[in-house]
Amino acid sequence: MIDSQEFDAIVVGSGISGGWAAKELCERGLKVLVLERGKDIRHGIDYKAEHAQAFQLPHYGMPDRKRNAREYPIQSTSYAFSEATIQYWNNDKDNPYVQTEGKPFSWVRADAVGGRSLLWGRQTYRFSEQDFNANRVDGTSIPWPIKYQDIAPWYSYVEKFIGVSGEAEGLAELPDSEFLPPMEYFALEKTIKGRLKKKLPDITLTMGRAAILTQNHNGRVACHYCGPCHRGCSTGSYFSSQSSTLPAATATGNLTLLPNQVVESLEHDETGSRITGVRTIDSITGERKLHTAKIFFMCASTIGTTQILLNSASELYPNGLANKSGALGKYLMDHLQVLHMGMFVDNTDSYYQGNRPNGLYIPRFRNVGDQDSDADFVRGYGYQCHTFRPEWQMSFNKKGFGVDYKESLTKPMDLWVWATAAFIECLPDESNQVTLHASKKDRFGIPQVVTQFDWDDNTRKLAQDSATQAEKIMRAAGALYYQTGDTENLAKGGSAVHEMGTARMGDDPSKAVLNKHNQAHGIDNLFVTDGSFMTSASCVNPSLTYMAFTARACAYAAEQFKAGKFNA
Amino acid sequence: MNRREFIQCAALLAAGSAGIPNTWSMNHEQHRFLAAEKSYINNKPLTFFSDQQRAVVKVIAQLIIPTTDTLGAVEAGSDRFIELMVADWFMPQERNVFTSGLNDLMEQQKDFINLPVAAQINILEQLEDDAADAPWFEFGNTIRVWDGDAPFICQFKELTVLGFLLSEVGSQQVLRPNPMGSFKGDIPLLDTDVSYATELPMRIEFEGL
Repeated sequence: MIDSQEFDAIVVGSGISGGWAAKELCERGLKVLVLERGKDIRHGIDYKAEHAQAFQLPHYGMPDRKRNAREYPIQSTSYAFSEATIQYWNNDKDNPYVQTEGKPFSWVRADAVGGRSLLWGRQTYRFSEQDFNANRVDGTSIPWPIKYQDIAPWYSYVEKFIGVSGEAEGLAELPDSEFLPPMEYFALEKTIKGRLKKKLPDITLTMGRAAILTQNHNGRVACHYCGPCHRGCSTGSYFSSQSSTLPAATATGNLTLLPNQVVESLEHDETGSRITGVRTIDSITGERKLHTAKIFFMCASTIGTTQILLNSASELYPNGLANKSGALGKYLMDHLQVLHMGMFVDNTDSYYQGNRPNGLYIPRFRNVGDQDSDADFVRGYGYQCHTFRPEWQMSFNKKGFGVDYKESLTKPMDLWVWATAAFIECLPDESNQVTLHASKKDRFGIPQVVTQFDWDDNTRKLAQDSATQAEKIMRAAGALYYQTGDTENLAKGGSAVHEMGTARMGDDPSKAVLNKHNQAHGIDNLFVTDGSFMTSASCVNPSLTYMAFTARACAYAAEQFKAGKFNA
Repeated sequence: MNRREFIQCAALLAAGSAGIPNTWSMNHEQHRFLAAEKSYINNKPLTFFSDQQRAVVKVIAQLIIPTTDTLGAVEAGSDRFIELMVADWFMPQERNVFTSGLNDLMEQQKDFINLPVAAQINILEQLEDDAADAPWFEFGNTIRVWDGDAPFICQFKELTVLGFLLSEVGSQQVLRPNPMGSFKGDIPLLDTDVSYATELPMRIEFEGL
């Protein structure tokens, strides 16, 4: 069945990358069709549990263990998964994949228009010059085809639109963004900052850079500090596709967005150098369609896009579409998280008002420039720091009955907790990969994804180093007690939800899937701008980089389109 | 907006109304959802305990968290929460531990609910002493969803506390809502100040880290 309506461009996915592709292509005058696998979630209207309180939720918000084990065994491990956000998440039972034994990988997925832009952690950092040079300098994998200077203007471009709050620090290893004012510090954080400045002057402690508005911006309203952003924000105070890019795309009159459309595969012409259409299955009705256009943007998330390209294998592309290099599906990366915790008895007479949906950040300080050149590892990590005042929820498990016990539950504990979560760069490794299962299919008849992932030795060394350095930092910060995280039994791959790298970019078509424009080598109307294009991982949260590359690729694609390059 | 919705919204905006940005408001669907969403404990009928069991559960919950200058466990509905959670939420083995614990107590103390408070407390303290080796009491054993090995008295206490401090009464009258509208990171904590209520059991936030 051929859909007669023709679009200039089709974007697969409506998350962080897909939303940006829709906005940029629409604003450049192209007629755009966005195909979203998940259910429709309308901005504001469908954020039903946005300000619900615990007593209004089933079991007062205690997670339903039986249902989670049955239907959400993977998604329920995310901090953002709860009774108040369950509508946004993928059902693991309905959408199975295969994890290689001993090499597990958690595939955390949304099932909604807006994708994980609704659920993301909103931390927003630029990659640095050092990050883009890393592969070239330490000889790992293949070099990035672009430099920091190529992408810097695009970082500025997307930052000005989304709104990023944070502090300028002037660090080469973590370039400043276009900032809105930073959020306030807790008293304890000021104390710690002062101590670190004296004792560990090489370490920078800065307010988390977050795509959360500290003042009204581009028609969106400043944050009201209710706290759990991932329930959805009807004031659009944090960046999501719903609050920001999709409304901008809609405003052009050029956008058509269809939810519940599972993309099965892409079709190409007889030469194999042009994509001609996208095959979809409606997840509600089962109806199959072929959608045609001139340009195709894959923004279905790293594993989703890889699955579609692998499933589009043909006579010309027996190993998967755009996979003459053999790199498709390989070099899967994530960030390894290791949590270190300290307890502090400073500033216990200080409290706070409002919930700050953000923490502090310690930018990478290992192997920066020429320092630490004797370290037995390459790359580094940053710490995302969370400060909280424990209360009854951490202290109810004690003896006693009656008035005193009750009284003790109502007061904050006389201490603060400061947790530093290391986010560790992982190297691209060929054996970490996504493939298709030879026989197992999903409910749509699409071959199931098989994941295989293990942390490389360098990442393991970095994990240990993050504990050693955390100990130094906790001491200098004045922790009464601290505990460093387990560096032997590491978190599963995928747990940081920064999966990337399975359709990497590079100048050499024999080694990379995409060129420097996020354009498939050999297929000029196919662009991939979700996390799969990443050639290396840095240690910073990657979403901003997806946005900047998407905007850059769209500008290029639209220019080519207008020059008539995609007319037969 | 009817009166019920108004009260719901007022409760949500609570103490921070002065600081709420003008443009901040809930849309109609949220109003409807939140207003329609009664407290979990009033949404479901109680069918699990016998009348005798229910009477004992009430007494124990109130002994753990009595009425003082603020309301106590039963006024906040902890007893209803306990019954629903044991019936709906517990794993079968946890449910067995709870019901046998409750039945043993009722077997050994046939007149428990009519004993003087001091005697009742003695019995509970004895139960807690007997359970003293349980890992439930270990510092930090709160960062988990549930301790599946918790003895009866510990299960009881945890459900009572959750049912109290997450309830409408507990979160709004015993603790206090954290005002929305702005964030201030450093304000004085007075001796008379109580903690802020939380929107979710915190244990969820730690899962997966």
